[in-house]
Amino acid sequence: MFNKRWRALAGSLAPSAAVLAVAVLGLALDTYWQYVLAISISAAATGGALAMLVSYARCITIATGAMLAIGAYGAAIPVVLAGVPFGAALVFATALGALAGFILAIPGVRFRSHNLAMVTLVFQSVVIIVLRESKALTGGAEGIHVPPPVIFGISFADDAYFLLLCGLLCALAVLPIAILLAGPFGKNLRALASNENTARAFGINVRHHLIAAFTFSSALIAFAGAVSAPRFRIIDPDSYGVLTSIFTLAYPIIGGMGSIWGGILGGGVLRVLPELLRPLADYIELIFCVLVVGTLTFFPEGLASAFWTRRRRNRTATASPASAREWQAARIGGSVSEAETVTAAEDQASGRPMLELHDISKAFGALRAVNGVSLTVAPRSLHGLMGPNGAGKTTLFNIVSGFIPPDSGRVLISGISLDKVPIERRIGLGMSRTFQHAAVFRRLSCLDNVMIGLGRNSVLQGAIRSLAAALDTEEIRAERYAALLALEAVGLGARAQDPAGTLSLGDQRRLEIARAIVSRPRIILLDEPVSGVSAEEAQRLRELLIMINRELGITMVVIEHNIGFLVSLCQRISVMTEGHILAEGDAAAMVSDPRVRLAYFGEREAAE
Amino acid sequence: MIVVGGLKFGAIYSLAALGIVVIHKATRIVNFAHGAFVLAGAYATYGIVEGMGLGYWPAYLLVPVVTGLLAAAVELVILRPIRQSDMFALITSTIFIGIGLSEVYRLVQNTEMLGVPNPFPGRPIFIGDIIITKEQIWVFAGAILSSLIGLAIFGYARLGRGLRAMAANVRGAVLCGYSTDSMNALAWFLGGALAGLAGVFAAPSKGISPELSISMVTAGFVAAAIGGFDSLRGALFGGLILGLAETFAAAYVSSAMTNAISFLLLFMVLLWRPEGLFPEAKIRDV
Repeated sequence: MFNKRWRALAGSLAPSAAVLAVAVLGLALDTYWQYVLAISISAAATGGALAMLVSYARCITIATGAMLAIGAYGAAIPVVLAGVPFGAALVFATALGALAGFILAIPGVRFRSHNLAMVTLVFQSVVIIVLRESKALTGGAEGIHVPPPVIFGISFADDAYFLLLCGLLCALAVLPIAILLAGPFGKNLRALASNENTARAFGINVRHHLIAAFTFSSALIAFAGAVSAPRFRIIDPDSYGVLTSIFTLAYPIIGGMGSIWGGILGGGVLRVLPELLRPLADYIELIFCVLVVGTLTFFPEGLASAFWTRRRRNRTATASPASAREWQAARIGGSVSEAETVTAAEDQASGRPMLELHDISKAFGALRAVNGVSLTVAPRSLHGLMGPNGAGKTTLFNIVSGFIPPDSGRVLISGISLDKVPIERRIGLGMSRTFQHAAVFRRLSCLDNVMIGLGRNSVLQGAIRSLAAALDTEEIRAERYAALLALEAVGLGARAQDPAGTLSLGDQRRLEIARAIVSRPRIILLDEPVSGVSAEEAQRLRELLIMINRELGITMVVIEHNIGFLVSLCQRISVMTEGHILAEGDAAAMVSDPRVRLAYFGEREAAE
Repeated sequence: MIVVGGLKFGAIYSLAALGIVVIHKATRIVNFAHGAFVLAGAYATYGIVEGMGLGYWPAYLLVPVVTGLLAAAVELVILRPIRQSDMFALITSTIFIGIGLSEVYRLVQNTEMLGVPNPFPGRPIFIGDIIITKEQIWVFAGAILSSLIGLAIFGYARLGRGLRAMAANVRGAVLCGYSTDSMNALAWFLGGALAGLAGVFAAPSKGISPELSISMVTAGFVAAAIGGFDSLRGALFGGLILGLAETFAAAYVSSAMTNAISFLLLFMVLLWRPEGLFPEAKIRDV
């Protein structure tokens, strides 16, 4: 156990250790190489910071040059003009970088892809214009002279000392980013980059996460800019221009988008490539461009990530047989705590309906998609919702789970009104769902998919849980165990470490169910759980859903076009057509109801 | 006078923006390499006018073809293999394709700035106090005319119908027998040709340098954003609005303000009217 625990911590410490090791090894080299390595190390920190924004959140940022400049000037100006000690100036510069990232993100994260890229480009240009125009502070286009750092009276003018200082500081700075990215915070970023709506349904606030990512990574970039500035002796706006921003964007892409390592390696190597390849120095930018486009074309996941996933799979393949037996012994309800069982029982005893819809309406332009729907779902029941295409079933689900605000009407869960509750909070009230088009996070492992389903995904929770993951605490192990149990329950225990995108459609639906039940919700909304799967698979999924309903007492509302499936699964069925509820009653009775037949088959058959 | 100068640059921006919109409408990609296509057009103009001494008329005919083929080649060789990737990969690729093309230019032509002669060196026209050069009239009229031709191709010709079908619904267009592959290549050809024309018109007054690439992609983006990236008419007006705003800012505030004013415009449009000032009717997926 100790061994395993140590491994989790080592994983987060490794990037910092590598940075420090390079610095220490560099002490044995001559002063030129020490100079090169110091620059390489600070670029590695920049690359690590970009890994968060570019590799994980998949944001295109062209503001890195500006952030480096904010750090460099933010640390140099207090030292030069006010005689502030280097340490304090460094802290100030980092805070300034964080603030700048925050300010950029507030309008920036309203946009994605090209518009976000353009907003960051605007920010970049404005910062450079300001630096060039405020001549009194920044020396304008000529720049300012940056003295060597002095800490506690020791001057780090010497190349060897400077390299060591640079290595120590950057190792420290990379650590928090490494912890965040390796843990749930990083997984949440990947999840929202692959499917925003699904991420929101499981409590990931996309806006907050992107703002946090911009703030963290800008702080670290500014830090790297501040640390490296004394090495350049003179800093001027031109060294931090648009082209700098674009070429730093290449660091994580060429290095590999799979983990923080890609950014660190990319930054460390690419920044000093012109120094290493002197004869080709003229062609270096072109080589960069070719490398980026080539990487995106041939290794869209990055080289490093292809390597890592293969290794990880080999490891689990050997680990799973023994543990699978262990999990099989555990009954599906085994991990439900006393307290949670009591809530479910209370819900039932109180006689309060689990879900109440009062007179819900929603129109899209002239189309009244949902028109005055009222519906009551009893606790622990399996409630079916059927109706022809376009009857408004999915719109109704989207209203209940919060994706679409209703024009009028109220939604209550166990008597609690959801009027003012944003999507991201609804999972906390015990509501979970699956999607019409199986919406798993394809790049994440099955286990990570299910762990996101726990719904503890605010930025703060993500950060705390990332720290917990690095220390491999009891809580995080309990979470992992709960997730493994859920996977085992749906029959995917052996595939816990496989990327979700590699599963068959039927297995993806199982994964969605595991993700929906792991938080022990009160109610799950299932949108066409068996569409596109084979008849036998549908049969197995039916048994799975019935078992979950019986053993965990979870209420389910199921939309399905497969009427045989729906009738054999549900006790009650509501039939929707043209935006309203046409009929509601016992499953078997509904199928033979003449009004229902009329809605489905048209007039003549109903008359027969 | 300011108005005339502004309209001249505005018309060039309109051409650049139209190309971005055409490519975006058909393939959903905002092409950050567009500035490089404009630069390629300007450089080809230099080759034809100065290098071969053929004068301007061949340039107007040949350059669009050259840049159109260049753009189509970019689509076929680089972007087609990654069309299944997400927007991140596609847009990042166009950014680096643009920088790469500019780098190629810098390596081939190792000078700071190339110039081409004024196509209409004759004496300016005086209307009262207002001085208008023939070049200004020609560029404005020529660029607007080219834009209208582009609009007409996209709007009425048979190939335009396919492109518009792709823009509205890719799957539907494929089911109706339009080939995605050829339609995408066609959209890029058309977009590249418009960029090339912008290059021909821009070369005499803006000079030819990698700077041109960045300034034109920024201006084209802002103008296209004013039209919401989907409206051709919007891009046309967006370019003119941007040209006027920039020239006025340079004349009455300071020349450093020209960049700032376009960014200000972009911000206002993105924050208050992200769908553009000229939104086209759109059906939202539910």
